Amino acid sequence: MLNIFRWWWGILLAFFLLAMVRVFLPLPFANEVIIFSIYTMGCNFLLGRVGFISFGQPAYLAVGAYPTAFYLYYFGQNPYIGILLGIVVGMIVSAMVGAFFVRLRSDYFALVNLALAVIVFYLMEKVLATITHGDNGLWFLANMSSTPVLDLTKPRDFFIFSFLAAMAIWAFYKYLDDSIFGACCMATKTNEDKLRFLGYSNYSIRWMAFIIANTTTAFAGSLYAVYLGFVSPAITSPARAADPVVVTILGGVGTLYGPIVGTVAYTGMKDLLSGWIANWELFIGLLLVFIMLAGEKGIWGTLEPILRRAYFRKRLLQGSPES
Amino acid sequence: MMDMQLLISGVIFGLSIGSIFFLLAIGLSLCFGLMRIISLDQLLYYSVGAYITFTIHVVTGNTWLGVLGGMVAAGIVSLVVERFVFTRIYERDIAFTMIASFGILFAGIGAIKYVWGLAPRPVPIPMEAQVTILGTAIPVYRLIVVGISLLVYGGIWLFLNRSIIGKAIRAGIEDVEHVEGLGVNVYKLFTVTFIIAGILSGLAGGLHASLIMVDPQMGLEVLAFVFMVVIIGGLGSIKGTLASAFIVGQVVSLGSLVYAPLAQMAPFAIMLLILLVKPTGLYGSKLLKR
Repeated sequence: MLNIFRWWWGILLAFFLLAMVRVFLPLPFANEVIIFSIYTMGCNFLLGRVGFISFGQPAYLAVGAYPTAFYLYYFGQNPYIGILLGIVVGMIVSAMVGAFFVRLRSDYFALVNLALAVIVFYLMEKVLATITHGDNGLWFLANMSSTPVLDLTKPRDFFIFSFLAAMAIWAFYKYLDDSIFGACCMATKTNEDKLRFLGYSNYSIRWMAFIIANTTTAFAGSLYAVYLGFVSPAITSPARAADPVVVTILGGVGTLYGPIVGTVAYTGMKDLLSGWIANWELFIGLLLVFIMLAGEKGIWGTLEPILRRAYFRKRLLQGSPES
Repeated sequence: MMDMQLLISGVIFGLSIGSIFFLLAIGLSLCFGLMRIISLDQLLYYSVGAYITFTIHVVTGNTWLGVLGGMVAAGIVSLVVERFVFTRIYERDIAFTMIASFGILFAGIGAIKYVWGLAPRPVPIPMEAQVTILGTAIPVYRLIVVGISLLVYGGIWLFLNRSIIGKAIRAGIEDVEHVEGLGVNVYKLFTVTFIIAGILSGLAGGLHASLIMVDPQMGLEVLAFVFMVVIIGGLGSIKGTLASAFIVGQVVSLGSLVYAPLAQMAPFAIMLLILLVKPTGLYGSKLLKR
């Protein structure tokens, strides 16, 4: 019982802080942070739990964004159906692609995903240019009709929706962590021989994990589509391929709060530094190298032990009967 | 269907592009074979080589001097990066070096933007002369690029097979622990290999500078192609790298003659196929499968 209580306490604290982002910072920034942190959660699960590093996450972002865009541009008006379509297509595509990809080792896996991102990019930019309008992109902001409860066409309601969605996804990953499946994912990262010896199939666990992670990514993609009202091939540009990996490592690989902390830090830095000086890449790059040299724990990975120690010391001084 | 002149100039174009890919990929391949690192920062030395070529050309008006200067600068930058970053992370996991070197690449792009600005810079071709092969006018410079890359292949082959350091490097590719057991300081070998890789990347950048515009993102643009070359050829194999570089060059060049969007996509489709069928690449030895 106590365990469950602590569990929820963590979520509420994290999302209370995230809600503060909304209060203190402008709305577009808050929306960007929320969507990007959903995007990063998928990558964080792949990298931190299953040990797969992928430089092709933008491909899955596009797989989610384009079905939403097609639906809203050509067929319908309801953004919810568009998002649902994005999720379903994302799930189908990642299931098909994953069946081949998860056989590979982690370094090849990263490059194959990069190749997929490039293929999707040129597919959308050139080959399917008659449907996707090439580099001009699809503009459908005016096509979306307002919906009764949460009106996704309004940025304020969109924030509430994506906030709730991020919370649900976060809780889902937290739940996975405590489940047997989560333990298997960890095991396939650290010692796959032993896991096979215990009677689990490495392949199907990795496949499931891949589907879960990239469905999350596709969901982030369709959120981007609805939020911006516009999708262009730039979303899957190979030049942005490493963004989610960078953010995951910035926040702390495999930690639950890592994606959120990393996203706030990364987006904030990008906004602040790019207003201040033109080349923020220099700082992001140096920071990344520094984090890797300092023991790859990331911002949250470094903060967590310090916070925990401070918390327990306070409890100890108060002489709480619980401990 | 396709006329002869177009075909010949397409083949020559593919060969010159393949040469650039080869010069870049050989460094990556050596680094992976010996040190077991994936060194994305080779693309940074490529951009550095191109930018130094541009700068020296502006100052002296001689592009060949610029290429030489670019090689030296790339070697110096790679030495600095190796000393400060890679000596600390050689022992780590391969994905780890990949991320760290990506950080270096990213930081380097930022630094380049800071020094040279965002605008693409043109570098004029050092020689305008053309030769006629089978009735097609071909720029001599492209043939020279191909010649240089073949010379580099010969030089690397001689270095690895005839010199004592090269033999130690080859032995290290087979088994680093044994070489260390023989009393060779492998970290010196690592430094030498890394600088060779950096210089070759700088050479690639310098040679490529006159064929394209020099811009800060140029490293990221060829990144995917270079990796593809390394993977199709098999990580750690020089011969395979040469073969796959020319294959990829031809696919890019002839593919664009058939159907323009195909040029960018076809190589990746080939790479996907090869990886799914034979994950070690064309010439990848089973020793490298860890």
